[in-house]
Amino acid sequence: MDIRISMYIATVVSLYVNIALCIYGVISKPNLIKKFIALTILQDSINVFLVLGGYRLWRPGLLLQPPVLLNWSPTSEDLKQFLMKSVDPLPQALVLTAIVIGLAVNTFLAIVIIHLYRHFSTIDVDEIGSMKKVMIVEESA
Amino acid sequence: MKKHREMIFDILLIVIILLVLIPTLLGGIGPLPPREIRPLAKAYLNSTLNIYNKDLWTASPEAVAAIVWDYRGLDTFYETIVFYTAIVSCLILYREILGKRDISKGEGLSIVVKRVTAISLLGILVVGASTVLHGMLTPGGGFQGGAIMAVAPVIAIVVFSRLLVDTSRLSYSKVVTFRNLAILGIALTALIPIILNFGNAFIFQNQYKRSINFSYPAHILDVPMGGSLWFLNLFEGLAVLMAFYLAFNIILYSEEVSKEVILGEEYGY
Repeated sequence: MDIRISMYIATVVSLYVNIALCIYGVISKPNLIKKFIALTILQDSINVFLVLGGYRLWRPGLLLQPPVLLNWSPTSEDLKQFLMKSVDPLPQALVLTAIVIGLAVNTFLAIVIIHLYRHFSTIDVDEIGSMKKVMIVEESA
Repeated sequence: MKKHREMIFDILLIVIILLVLIPTLLGGIGPLPPREIRPLAKAYLNSTLNIYNKDLWTASPEAVAAIVWDYRGLDTFYETIVFYTAIVSCLILYREILGKRDISKGEGLSIVVKRVTAISLLGILVVGASTVLHGMLTPGGGFQGGAIMAVAPVIAIVVFSRLLVDTSRLSYSKVVTFRNLAILGIALTALIPIILNFGNAFIFQNQYKRSINFSYPAHILDVPMGGSLWFLNLFEGLAVLMAFYLAFNIILYSEEVSKEVILGEEYGY
């Protein structure tokens, strides 16, 4: 098998394993910071996967050069070469949106975790749950 | 019991990975890896700096920036609003202490660290500004440049202590005002074509379209300016810098001041 295709398959497999490990981390770890780290890695893995969706296999015989327009007034031949070398820009643009929204969520989560820590003096969700149970019992009594 | 539960959970995860992986590798989302890009991508790449057919061009050689702020400008505007709202909700959580002076009177790190940081802060700001201002030519743009520049206030607060924020002229209300003005700038850049043409233009219009004679400057001194992309990148960069400044400002309050927020909850404020 072509080395490029086997490397591509290895990347896809490793990304899926990464995604699964992150889901495991988010669900099973009781520490909120560990959950948060797993969530950020999950976001990044999915983003890399989306960018990989816009990837294309390099054509044999084409000069290995980045898809950059070197001229402010490109000739139609320059534009053709640019089209032959470029990858799909749409997933990259959409991932950019996903990164910003992910960051907005992350900032909010970080502040909520700090808030919880100052309130309960712990970031273990199991402990927070049992503390809340005690509080509810006390209030209802 | 707990071990059994974890084992079942692990097996379930492996099954899920295989269920998603096998169809992907067999071509479930198209031939992988493709030799050709999709027709939609071709259309974007072909029109972004096509000087022979200016019907759909953006005057910017950076296809990603062109998609982000021109072809899909409204998407990016809503995304900016999501980020804006997230920071506002963080600020609301700490509304009792916002703009207050911190009670800790730190002196910061040693003079050597302070001098080195003062020099590197300038470098960070210049790199961030260059990423923002060249967003229509090279990879990067408003958000990325703003995020780079936002590193500067974090380092400054850590090295020079919080006293720097308390004594600086950049007060909390000024930062919030700058941020709102930046968002207003983005909205105005999108609406100016409509206002100037009395409703006969597109929202987020960048360059001349058939029958709508309005264009943001396509070139300055022979360099492609990307029209509205440059202005939108600039405002987005400012908005992101101010947003991060506010977020780090509340995260880096000392424990004594932050505890006031929790006390407020106990008294039912």
